Amino acid sequence: MGWRGVRLQSQHLDIAPNTVGFGHTPVLPAHNGYIPVALRGPMTHALCLTVNGEALEFSVEPHLTLLDLIRDHVELTGCRRGCDSGYCGACTVLLNGKAVHSCSVLAVAADGAHVLTVEGLVRDGRLHPVQQAFIEHGAIQCGYCTPGMILSSVALLKENPQPSEPEVRAYLSGNLCRCTGYVRIVQAVLAAAESMREERA
Amino acid sequence: MSELSVVGKALVRTDGLRKATAQVTYGVDFKLPGMLYGKLLRSPYPHARIISIDTSQAEALPGVKAVVTGKDSPEGLFGSRINDQPPLAREKVRYIGEPVAAVAAVNEATAEKALGLIRVEYEEITPVFDPKEAMRPGAPIIHADLGKYQASPIFCHPVPGTNIMNYMKIRHGNVEMGFAQADFIFEDTFTTPAQHHCCLEPHAAVGQVGLDGKATVWTSTQGPYKVRTESASALSMPPSRVRVIATQVGGGFGAKGRAKLEPHCVLLSRKSGRPVKIVLTRHEVFTATSTRHPSVIRIKTGVKSDGTILAREVEVILDTGAYSESGEIVCWEIGQGAAGPYQIPNVKVDAYAVYTNKVPAGPMRGFGWPQIMWASESQIDIIAHKLGLDPLEVRLRNALEEGSVSATGEVMHSVGLKECLREAAAAIGWDDQRPPNRGRGIACLTKMSVPFLPSSAFVKINEDGRVGLLTSAVDIGQGSDTVLAQICAEDLGVGLSDIEVAVPDTDTTPPDMGVIASRITFHVGNAVRLAAADARQQVLALAADMLEASPEDLLLADGKVFVRGSPDRALSLAQVSTAAFFQKGGPILGRGSFLDEDVVPTDPDTGQSPKPCPYWKYGATAVEVEVDPETGVIKVLKLASAHDCGRAINPLLLNGQIEGGALTGLAYALWEEVVFDGGRITNPSFMEYRIPSTVEAPNISPIIVEAEHHAGPFGAKGAGEASTIGVAAAVGNALFDAVKVRIKDLPLTWEKVLAALEKKADDDRKEA
Repeated sequence: MGWRGVRLQSQHLDIAPNTVGFGHTPVLPAHNGYIPVALRGPMTHALCLTVNGEALEFSVEPHLTLLDLIRDHVELTGCRRGCDSGYCGACTVLLNGKAVHSCSVLAVAADGAHVLTVEGLVRDGRLHPVQQAFIEHGAIQCGYCTPGMILSSVALLKENPQPSEPEVRAYLSGNLCRCTGYVRIVQAVLAAAESMREERA
Repeated sequence: MSELSVVGKALVRTDGLRKATAQVTYGVDFKLPGMLYGKLLRSPYPHARIISIDTSQAEALPGVKAVVTGKDSPEGLFGSRINDQPPLAREKVRYIGEPVAAVAAVNEATAEKALGLIRVEYEEITPVFDPKEAMRPGAPIIHADLGKYQASPIFCHPVPGTNIMNYMKIRHGNVEMGFAQADFIFEDTFTTPAQHHCCLEPHAAVGQVGLDGKATVWTSTQGPYKVRTESASALSMPPSRVRVIATQVGGGFGAKGRAKLEPHCVLLSRKSGRPVKIVLTRHEVFTATSTRHPSVIRIKTGVKSDGTILAREVEVILDTGAYSESGEIVCWEIGQGAAGPYQIPNVKVDAYAVYTNKVPAGPMRGFGWPQIMWASESQIDIIAHKLGLDPLEVRLRNALEEGSVSATGEVMHSVGLKECLREAAAAIGWDDQRPPNRGRGIACLTKMSVPFLPSSAFVKINEDGRVGLLTSAVDIGQGSDTVLAQICAEDLGVGLSDIEVAVPDTDTTPPDMGVIASRITFHVGNAVRLAAADARQQVLALAADMLEASPEDLLLADGKVFVRGSPDRALSLAQVSTAAFFQKGGPILGRGSFLDEDVVPTDPDTGQSPKPCPYWKYGATAVEVEVDPETGVIKVLKLASAHDCGRAINPLLLNGQIEGGALTGLAYALWEEVVFDGGRITNPSFMEYRIPSTVEAPNISPIIVEAEHHAGPFGAKGAGEASTIGVAAAVGNALFDAVKVRIKDLPLTWEKVLAALEKKADDDRKEA
């Protein structure tokens, strides 16, 4: 092995310029109206983030990762901690529409960005076609990689609505799964592409 | 048997919706109010005496709420069948990474900082890392108390005063006579590396101890009752004072079958008075949780010139690391299977599990069988090529079938091996002409089920006619919640969506020995059938009263009870259940307990038994590969994995099990190896220990062969591990077919292939 492309955040980040400047008043995080102890202190940065359509404000330490922010402070556990080193892809979220490993993105670097997690994919009680396809094709086993896998697939189908099987395999190579052997995951993404095309037609 | 309506159907998993939307709570997600975070201080030495531990500075750090050491659990030892492991090291440490102390603090950073303030004074002892060296007289003894440990006499035959934690043997027929009659004798030695489970969810647990001393643990586990037993043993508590509740599990594969962090969470919670959570880092998962057993396997086989096997002598040495984990039973199983799934009149096996100063090896998907089948099936191929026979034909000639007598003296039942061989071979076009550097390989596989592991189930009929199913089987992704619900639904004449499966909890769900050994469908499935039959009988008795009919004339289907022949005389299950609730007898509860009582323990001197285990699975893997002679890279073009798992309760989920296991098996064949430098693991991350992604994984063709088992629920056996087992040998055999080099140590990396090709070119030149 060794030819797998590891997803680097620099390839994918399309982040609005940092809007935090001098004179910016630190604000209470909108979420729960409460600043966790770990986030208080002199070395904090104010941070605005839209998560699943909801605008949130935080005051964070500079070393906090986007993964920690989403898991521990927004409390969305569909963003999974797997390796903390950018290899397994369990922590994948869509940052301004691009799939990134949130463990490898500093929260402050995502200031002003839109984040989509798997919790934000369901619209009006309806599953995203990729979610539906994962269920129907047996692409889910333990489910730990599933949110990241689904979000990468959503990003792929946005970039390339008609991917070939090798294209699906290449795009998902940053999301590891130890349960399925990937066969049904690839089938599910191809089926979702098909059903999304039909929906558009 | 009348036609089945739920069993045998390819239904989507019942938890799919929750998992696709992340409405599930894994161990790493679980939280309680006031919860502290724990960290473990681990040994930097492979073998050392602990002279002193000073925790005073750590305890003084603001935010630290508890520090515990071996002194806080001075007596208890735990293990799967040999209790040899303390939760925290006492007099000495036996591997790099062994927990020595634990800290609970208000957050992980503080706990981590406190670890650095604990002063431990060690005195190093000579370590031993190679199991062969560890077996030699005069080797450093890792467990001086081996003879005193509590151990299961059925499976464990430790050799006190040595590092041999378990020794098992098979004596069947007379191998010397068999070799004397043979036309050819082959002798080869094969080796295998440690492989890691690589569950994507790291190990995680939360423990809470009340002032009354009762401990509750929420943990990402495959076996709540197993964790309960082992934690209680480690902490010298009665098992029923430890309540274990399973969270959602993000991958198990054997890694989460036993107590790991739970005793530490309990110790820290007991001392701090607050709930404590421990989540391992990925580095800790790699360096301090178990691996697949590395092995050295020597096989000597005598055959007639037509390929008939007359005798087989096998010696297996398993490197079990510093503690038994489940090495004792891996050793026992590997010995049972060492002859291969063949009819061989003369067999002699000696299998050893040997302590070394390395991280303990433990149970992992396949449980010893990937190792032994790699060796055994590679040698069958060597034999076939030497004799100029088709490797498929040699296997078919010797393969077990219904009624064959095994090497352990059992008359075999439910044997779909030959059909698996034929189907797997056909799926890759066995007899096709292939261009240069392409080859095909095939390998058999078999695996026994572990005996004497009880299961039980409760079924309750709710007042609305829907059914609650309570077992302690954890759905770790394999789909057992769905499969058990299908079995229950079938027997109670309701739909799959009418079943509510309870969360395993040792205070409420009935005993079960865990999601191990591909046993849930068979064992828990049987318990569910018994519980459903009990509930059904109660439903029919009450309905008979209500309908003024005889219970024998009643049928249960589509959520209704009706009189045979007059479907208008009917009651809904809800009507019967409501009547039971409020008018007659109280709520309907069914119970079922299952134990494989017909199993006979193997003779300790010969390994013989008329029935050593509840059932055997069979299968065959066939692959087509292309080898690049310039780079040595093996590319798998086709992989067909055929399995006799008895009746397929759910073909969709079964295919998923086959595919996933096959990829783990392929990774074992080609890529994965935990690399040790002495006792230290040198590749403890996903960057250095690469597991296959979508781009390395080939397309896999799963094939289901159904040789029904008379004792299985609806004829089912088990499925979880089988497809991992035979892949390595199939790939090695295909490598030989493609470029005529034979490699006997896994994994079959491009470096080894290139070296073998260069050596072959050299040898060919010398010959010419």
